[in-house]
This record gives sequence, C-alpha cells and structure tokens, in this order.
Amino acid sequence: MNQLILTVDKAGRLRLHGENGPVLVRPIACFPWSSPGEYLSLRDTDDWEVALIREAQSLDTASRAALEQALAQASFVFEVNQIDSVEDELELRVWKVQTDQGPRTFQTKLDHWPHAINGEAMVVRDLAGDLYRIKPHSLDPKSKELFWAFRE
Amino acid sequence: MLDPTSQLFDRYLDQPQTIPRDLRARLENACASESVQLYGLADLDSSLRLCQIWVALTANYFGIARTADRMIDEQIRVIERSRLTKVVEEPGLSCTVAHVLVSNEEHPFATIRYSHRQRQAVSHVLFAIQQQLEGEPAELIDNYRQSMVRPIKEAQASVNTSRLAIVWRLLGYLKPYRWQVTLGMTGASIMTLARLLPPLLTAHVIDDAIRPFQNGTLAASAAWQLALVLLAGLAATFVVQELAAWVRLRTMAVLGEHVARDLRTEMYDHLHRLSVSFFSSKQTGSIISRVGSDSDRIWDFIAFGVVELSLSFLLLIGLSIVLIALDFKLGLIMSLPLPLLLYLIYRNGKTMHGFFLRAWRKWSNLTDTLSDTVPGIRVVKAFDQAEHEKRRFEDRNESFTDECFRIHHVWTGFWPVLMLLVHLMTLLVWVFALPRLLSNGSADLTTGTFVAFLLYMGMYVYPIEIIGQMARLLNRALSSAHRIFDLLDTEPQLVETHRGIQLTPLQGLIDFRDVTFGYDRVRLTIKGISLRIEPGELIGLVGPSGSGKTTLINLLVRFYDPIGGEIRIDGVPLKELDIGSFRRQVGMVLQDPFLFHGTILENIRYGLQAASLSEVISAAQAANAHDFICRLPNGYDTVVGERGHTLSGGERQRVSIARAILHDPRILILDEATSSVDTETEHQIQEALNRLVAGRTVIAIAHRLSTLKRASRLLVVKDGRLAEQGTHLELLGLENGIYRKLHDMQLRLNEAHAV
Repeated sequence: MNQLILTVDKAGRLRLHGENGPVLVRPIACFPWSSPGEYLSLRDTDDWEVALIREAQSLDTASRAALEQALAQASFVFEVNQIDSVEDELELRVWKVQTDQGPRTFQTKLDHWPHAINGEAMVVRDLAGDLYRIKPHSLDPKSKELFWAFRE
Repeated sequence: MLDPTSQLFDRYLDQPQTIPRDLRARLENACASESVQLYGLADLDSSLRLCQIWVALTANYFGIARTADRMIDEQIRVIERSRLTKVVEEPGLSCTVAHVLVSNEEHPFATIRYSHRQRQAVSHVLFAIQQQLEGEPAELIDNYRQSMVRPIKEAQASVNTSRLAIVWRLLGYLKPYRWQVTLGMTGASIMTLARLLPPLLTAHVIDDAIRPFQNGTLAASAAWQLALVLLAGLAATFVVQELAAWVRLRTMAVLGEHVARDLRTEMYDHLHRLSVSFFSSKQTGSIISRVGSDSDRIWDFIAFGVVELSLSFLLLIGLSIVLIALDFKLGLIMSLPLPLLLYLIYRNGKTMHGFFLRAWRKWSNLTDTLSDTVPGIRVVKAFDQAEHEKRRFEDRNESFTDECFRIHHVWTGFWPVLMLLVHLMTLLVWVFALPRLLSNGSADLTTGTFVAFLLYMGMYVYPIEIIGQMARLLNRALSSAHRIFDLLDTEPQLVETHRGIQLTPLQGLIDFRDVTFGYDRVRLTIKGISLRIEPGELIGLVGPSGSGKTTLINLLVRFYDPIGGEIRIDGVPLKELDIGSFRRQVGMVLQDPFLFHGTILENIRYGLQAASLSEVISAAQAANAHDFICRLPNGYDTVVGERGHTLSGGERQRVSIARAILHDPRILILDEATSSVDTETEHQIQEALNRLVAGRTVIAIAHRLSTLKRASRLLVVKDGRLAEQGTHLELLGLENGIYRKLHDMQLRLNEAHAV
C-alpha cells in the first residue's frame, strides 16, 4: 500500500492526498476507548470510508501530526480534574466539576452510572450526551471522597 | 417570578439565558441594524477550551460574536447570508466541528466548535443556512433557551418544585378525607399521649402506696386501695392506648389506599388526554411504574410515614417536657443531648447514602446481566456462552454482595454506638440521681419519680429509630410523588375544541391544503402537501422509507397538528371536529396489529362493545378469521395478547381486520397491513381487505407495490413532498418517474429471488 499523505488546511480540516488529488476527510477512532490510537477510519464528506489506518505510527511525521490534530477534535471529551460537588436531587444527579476546559455543571439521571474504561479512567455521560473522563487516582482527596460511591 | 425555563437555567446551566444585550446590539449594528432572529452558543474555542462564541442569523446576515474573556477581546464578524455556499458539520464524541463556507473552500468564513449541549441550538442556525442554500428558506423560530433545558425537562419535568412544595401538594390529596385524617391523627395523638401516662402512674403507686406502707405511714388497707385505683388507671390507659392505635392504623391505612386510588385514576385519565408525542418520548415501563409502584409508595407514606414521623417528634418533645417537669436537672440531662443524637442520625444518613449508591450501582449491573441474557437466551445457548454468562453473573453478584456487607458493617456499627450514647445518658442520670436518692432526710427525688424517669428513658429509643428510618421512606415517597406530578403536569399538545363539530356519518372527503409539519418544528417532515381524496376512493401511498407517509397518516387522525396549512374533512377543518366522534369513524389496520390481553371476542368487539355474537362472527368470516378461530380449543373465548395464546402474525392481522370491519369506519387506513406475512396468508388477508375497503375512503401504505394495483389513485411521496400521482399505469408511463423506478427495482428483486 502507498504511504498515506495527510495535511491540515488553513481551516483546520484534514485532507488526504491521493491519486485523484486532495480529499477532505475526518478521522473516526473505531475503538475510541479500548484502543484509541489504532484503527482510525478516514471518512469523506459523505461519510464513506476512504482509508483505514491501523496505526498512526505507520504515517510519516507530518501526516501523523495532521491526523492527531484532527483526531483531538473528533475524540474530544471533557477531562475532569476536580469534583466540587455531586448532589442527588429528585430524578437528577447534579455534578459541579472543574475540567481542563474550564468549570462545568452537568446533570445525569440517577441510574446512569459512570463506567470504567481501560482500567484507570471512568466516563460519565450527561443528559445532553457530552462525555466526561474522570481519573479517580489523579483526583485530590476531597474529589476522591465525592467520587468514591461511583468508582469500582 | 421566574418562568420554569429561567429557573432551570439558573439552577443547572452555567451559561447565559440569552445572547448578552450589549453584544446583541453591537452584532445587530454590524448586520445593518437587522434584528437577530435565531442564535446559538458555540462553547468551545479552537484549542477546545470553554468559551462563549455566539452564532446568529438575521434576515440577511450571519454573524459570529465572541464575548471577551481572560484570553481574548470581544470579536464580531458578520457576512451576508447570500455569500455563504455550504455548511459542513463533523460530529465527534463530545465536540462537533462546523465549517461555514464561502466560495473559497480553503478559507471558510468560520469554523465553530460546540459540545452536545449546544448542538441543537447551533444546528438550527446552520440548518436554516442550509435550507436557504437549497432554496427552501426555513421559518426562523428562536429555540435556544428551550433546546438548552429540554434534556433536563425530559429527565425531570417539574424540577423547580421544592421538596416542601411536593409534600404540601401530596397532603392536598387528603382534603376530601378531612374527617378520616382528623380521626386518624386524633387516634395517633391519644395513643402517643397515653404512652406517657403509665410511668407517671407507676411513680404514684411507688411513692403514694408502696413507700408510705413500707415506712409505716400508711395503713395496709389504704395502701391496697390506692394501689388498686392506680392499677385500674394503668389498665384503662393501656386499653385507651391500644384502642387509639387501632383507630389510627385502620383509618390511615384505608386513607392511604383512597389517596393511592385517586392518584392512579387521575393519572390514567390524564394519560388518555395526552398526545401521542408524550408516549413516544417516555418509556412504557416508566409510565407503568408511575401508575403502579409509585402510587404504592405514596400509600406507604400516607398510611405510616406521615403519622409515624410527626408522632415521633411529638413523642420526643412530650418526653422532654414531662422529664423536665418531673425533675428539672435530670430532665435536662436527657433532653439536652437530643439535638446531638438527631444530628448523628442525619450524618449517618449522609454516610449511608454513599454506601447505598454503590450498592444500587452494583445492583444495576447485576440486573443488567439478567435483562440481557433472559430475553437473549437463544443467542447465549447458540454461541455456547452459558459458562461465560454464569461467570459474569457470579462476579457481579459477588460484587453486589460485598457492597451489602459494607452497608451492614456500617449500620450495625452505628446503632449500637448510638444506643450506647443513650445508655450513657441513662448512666449519667443514675450518677446524678444516686446521691439524691441516698441522702437521708432531704430526699428531693423520690423513688417513684426516679422509676418513672427510668421508664421514660426507655421510651427515648423508639422515636429516634423511627426518625432515622423515616428519612429514607420520605425520600422514596417524594421521588414517587415527583414522578406522579410530572405526569399529571404534562399538558396535552393538541388543543381540543370544546363542543367540536360532530360529523355523523362522515362522507370521507379528505382535503390537505398546503400542509407543513415537523416533529421538532424546525426540520420539516411534510413540506407543503396539498391533496384531495374523494369519498370512496382507494388511495395508495407510496414512497421510500422516511419520505413522510406515516406522518401524513398521523396528521390525518390528528395525533399531531400541522404547523402550517390545514386539513379538512368533509369541508370542515379537522381542528374544529369533535376528535372522539371523528376517530370513531376512522379505522386503522397496522403492520404489527396490537391485540389487548383478553379473549378474541373482546378484541374484535373493541371498537363496538355492543356488537352481537352473530355480528362478530360475520366480521370474522369477512376477515377470513372465522375458520382459524374455530380451530382454537376455546374458540372466540381464547385469551390472546400479552401472557395469552400466541397467534401468528397473519392470524393477529385477520383478527384486527375483523375488529376494523365491525367498527365500520368511514375512513380506513391500511399501514403496511400485509408486509410481514407469507404469500398464502397475504392472499387471505388481501381477500379480507378487499371486502373491508368496499364503500369507504381508504388510504393504504404498502411497500409491495403489487398490492396497490387496485388503487384508484397512487400518491408518491418523497422528502415530504407529493412527487407524483396517478393510476398504476399512468405512473409506470412516466419516464424516470420515482414510482417506475421503485416498481422496476421490485420486479428485478422478485426475479432474483425466483432464480
């Protein structure tokens, strides 16, 4: 197979350079949680797969950088670094947290629990569908205590 | 007072309720003073940090305004909408990236990023641009605030209600039963107060009869007489106490049932008033549990919770007063630590909450395994995964049991410690009482008073325990009440006309006039359809999946109202018709017919309860159902539906056709009535349908175009529009016609199958 060439244009969009010229693509991780760096599907604007990259390592440095930049957006989830409060209200659980992206308040249903991914992190999905990654071991003591009921 | 949406914003969403006024003014200024009609918030910047970038549409401009923050100054950029060429959205796990392009693809006018929370509002802005590009300008309906709070509202409709307000509302259901409440509470109060008497009487027996007799200051006969009087008083107190307990238990238990029944009836009545959209947004199980188990918890709360909780506090207050009145110093020793004990119970409740959460989570894991494997048991067996599933279940079972052990470890540790504190108080009372009891001459504390004290102290434990347990019962009841009120507060989306026009009998003339509809009011499913169906016509509705066929039917039977245009039946607007009278004259035969739990007879009679047995048999014969029904061991009395006899798809279909025949509708809707049965059954059903359609206005949806050959007219719907209409032959004659393509495709498919 020929080496794939990927670039990012001025608008931040990923382009795959093939025999028929550059094609706009967006990367999708086939296994976003169990193996985020492997099996990356490049989709065209009609959402058809134009290439499947088994390992980003197989690309040249520039292409890999371009891919990782595009992948950062596609794989983006909120990274929780501190939990300020978790309160159960009627039918709702309200989380007030600090994330790498800024402070955030979100809600989950009472019976929607964070689930473990990859052993060390947990992911919780809010009512709107946004995902929050929490690494219980990296939390401060107060956050750990607040998260205690939800970790394994 | 804030409206519910504003309350939700304030409480749950850390973002502005509207585009900031100053920013809006500057943005509008940049847009040639046009007012902003539609907007959304893109909340992530290019480095994926939270920020505020407003995207907005005016009549002729698209604008982006970034509010100033620590990182950046305010920025406003606008462009004429006519210069935009394309919008591309790239959804990710939690971030959607959208490019708004002008002619030069290399330099988009803007690239915006937003979390799922903002997606609906921003997408509406982008959708409106897209629609304009496609030459179909959408109506600009500002939905920013609504789309933000919608997920929260769906999870918790009356979130702004405080717990206290819920309790008050719940207690409002006691109003019709005032005298029972009074009787029950009086019984409960008498029972509580009567409990305070025995120790007092015991003190009198000791101090006024036994001790004076032992000291020789009272004659034996007088001591006996006094003691017997006091004993009789004691006996009377016990009788009154238990009589009052009986009155209280019986009244409140019955009262609880009354309230639960009233709630169930009110909920069920309300359910029938609600629009179809409510049922599609809520899970069936959630609705059933509200009417069932939630109302049961309310009974528990009314029958026991309300009384037990208020009486426990009454008893604690009563005990403190009596103890202080009996002996001020000793009374204080017992009463002063009371707030501390209650605080400890509250703290323990908080701690236990965490443990219960863990156990609840593990329990969910455990039941998930069950709900996965029991319905999927064939797959488990076929793939020989029984061992794997057993291990999974055992692991989760073990994990849940571990959490239960933890809970038992904590609560079993807490209560003895708490009781030890109560005993410590008792010891303290002894420590302070003994010197006074043993001092010669100046005994300001009598033996009787002290014994009464000891007896009262024993009574302290019960109300404390009850208060500890009640917190959980109260929380559960409040959650249930909340879910019930959430349902009761849901308003039907369709406004029914009071005293609507009754058209009996209907002629069956259907007239759609430029009808527009979208389930979310923005993305249109039906785009300006006009059609007229004459009485007695057999219309075939054809089109690819998702083209809007079933939506047209939903509008015709008024499950939803159009957002534009009008539907008329026999010349009268559908909205002005009496909906009940209209629906009684409309029949539906669906792809997967629903039979209620009950006999076949009851199911056929569903639309016409008064039908005679011979009418039922005639209908079943016309539906080609009579023969197979007679072959069943219990004939027409065979119980079908959920938990009943299993009928095949074709058999159920024929029962539903018999039901429709008996119902004798003027307008008949056949929605894929023969799509899921074999050829032989299809033939029988088709034969039955041919008898059913005679003399009625019929609209039939079918994927198998061959079944629609008898239609007087075929309507082809595509992308929410009426694309073609005519007879089967006319449409086949259309070069590049949609119907012709569908027909050819099915023909080739049949040939392929034949090979």
